[in-house]
Amino acid sequence: MPPSPRPPAPRLIRLTLVTLAIVTVYVVSLRETEIDLPALATGFPNGITLVRDFLTPDVAVRETANSSVGLDFPVPCGSAPEEEVPESGPRIIPSDPCGEVGATIIVEGVGLGAGADVSLWWILQGISDQRLRAARVTTDSEGYFQTTVEIRPIVATKEGKASKLTAEITSEVGVLRPSPALLETVDAAILTVFMALIATSMAAIFAVPLSFLAAANITRHGGFGSAIYYVTRAYLNITRTFEPLVLATIFGLWVGFGAFAGVLALAVFTVGSLGKLYSEAVESIDPGPVEAVRATGAGPVETIFYAVIPQVIPQFTSFSVYHWDINVRISTIIGFVGGGGIGFLLNQRLRTFSYHKAGTAILAIVLVVSLLDFFSAAVRKRAT
Amino acid sequence: MLKVEHLTKVYPNGVVALDDVSFTVSEKEFLAIIGLSGSGKSTLLRCINRLVEPTSGKIEWYGKNIVGMNSGELRKIRRQIGMIFQQFNLVKRASVLTNVLSGRLGYVSPRISLPGIWPKEEKERAARALHRMGLDDKAKSRADTLSGGQQQRVGIARALMQEPKLILADEPVASLDPVLAHSILRHLEELNRDEGITIMCSLHFLDLVHRYANRVLALKDGRILFDGPPRDIDHARFKEIYGEEAEDVRATFVDAPSQ
Repeated sequence: MPPSPRPPAPRLIRLTLVTLAIVTVYVVSLRETEIDLPALATGFPNGITLVRDFLTPDVAVRETANSSVGLDFPVPCGSAPEEEVPESGPRIIPSDPCGEVGATIIVEGVGLGAGADVSLWWILQGISDQRLRAARVTTDSEGYFQTTVEIRPIVATKEGKASKLTAEITSEVGVLRPSPALLETVDAAILTVFMALIATSMAAIFAVPLSFLAAANITRHGGFGSAIYYVTRAYLNITRTFEPLVLATIFGLWVGFGAFAGVLALAVFTVGSLGKLYSEAVESIDPGPVEAVRATGAGPVETIFYAVIPQVIPQFTSFSVYHWDINVRISTIIGFVGGGGIGFLLNQRLRTFSYHKAGTAILAIVLVVSLLDFFSAAVRKRAT
Repeated sequence: MLKVEHLTKVYPNGVVALDDVSFTVSEKEFLAIIGLSGSGKSTLLRCINRLVEPTSGKIEWYGKNIVGMNSGELRKIRRQIGMIFQQFNLVKRASVLTNVLSGRLGYVSPRISLPGIWPKEEKERAARALHRMGLDDKAKSRADTLSGGQQQRVGIARALMQEPKLILADEPVASLDPVLAHSILRHLEELNRDEGITIMCSLHFLDLVHRYANRVLALKDGRILFDGPPRDIDHARFKEIYGEEAEDVRATFVDAPSQ
């Protein structure tokens, strides 16, 4: 007897119900996640500005040179000798050689170098550490500026000594060199790589013995062995589920926020993760050599040293380097909650709206992560 | 030297690999174990050094029962019994020398073996074993760079390090071509003849059994079907051991030149 076909009606009802359920789930999810597509368009300029700042990271500055030019400016006129403006060279030219309190003069600068930052000061009565800022300008491409300066009572001539109107010129000369922000970023990036290295190494020291205990082919013989196997396995599974971010906060409060807290958080998480990876490597070894070494009368520890470890070294190495790579990524995130390193720097710069400098940090993260990824891939390729 | 009584092995999945097996082995025997795949040959060999835990029965080694022995005593027995394998079971990434030295692990203290600082006398012993197997120039090579025949010779050298009274050989030539098979078996024959080392060797090919063994143990479904000299295996016995459809396949068509 051929199997009777399913009656179509219940099938249709079921299909409709399943479809309805799926549609409901999606409708609710879309509403709960506050999908706001217009915001993508309205907020676009903000986003673009930020991205542009990120894409022009602060990496280099030019060497700067400081120079100054100035001349005595009697207030009021006749209170002291006027000084003549030189005919050539870098110089500033006031519209009047002298002035009265309350008046406004125009000051021009000539031959000061293109694009230089100029601070215009009054050096009060010629005493160098008593100064009043008059104006701050940037020269044009000809090395020229023009600005207005108000003559305030404090600049008046005293005891026959006129105040000196002085332009301090800071101009960029010479070659580009790394900016302070870049240097700071490089330091932080190196710190992050080291944090990940120390955390991975610390974790590996604990993970190696644990992984042997958590390998079924090594431990799970008899009641006692099985107990050790399950306990270790459970321990590794639990530590693996600890969120590094939460751990970093806990350790931050415990030992103080900074690189050490970050290292501890990473290490605890990595013990579980590496231990699991290692133990799977141990479980996948060729049992033949183990059998052969046991047959010679070797004890369990000797068997591990001579038959197991040589087989797992390549995988242990590649897992460790791979985890170092992962930990660099994680420690970047951990930095945001005070774990130190490049993530911390990035967070700081974002909070102070220094987006060009934040761009530098982002660039460094991209470079470090790619480099380490490349390195770990190369090591893994060689190890197998 | 070896007395096996009512040996039975039932695996946890219910498979009865050995069913009430009894026999004795005298010194200097070259004992071949034959039988179809799954007849219990490997299990039998592995029960003797307890790589496989027997379910019941007795295995007496010079009067001492190996079954139920504690691990310390067992290790002292194991080191007198060398073992070689079908897949050679070398640590592939380790050097030939390290593989050979590992045969000494039952004798030296972990203080020496764990850091890997082997004394000169042990290294010399290893060099002698390698020389005997014609592998003098291979000591520093990685084991997996050697050919199959060479790897099996390293396996024998490792067993020799134990100064064994007995060598268990589990299908030692099944992964090798016929010419190499003869070469390996001649090495075992030589050790049997010159050093008086007892050999228990499972084999697939009857012509190899006829050529090298002086006694045959035939297993079928975990029971001993035949125990006697190779020449007593006639056509009828052959069919009994290997089944009605079996043909006598030979490893070589011509007799290998002796030595």
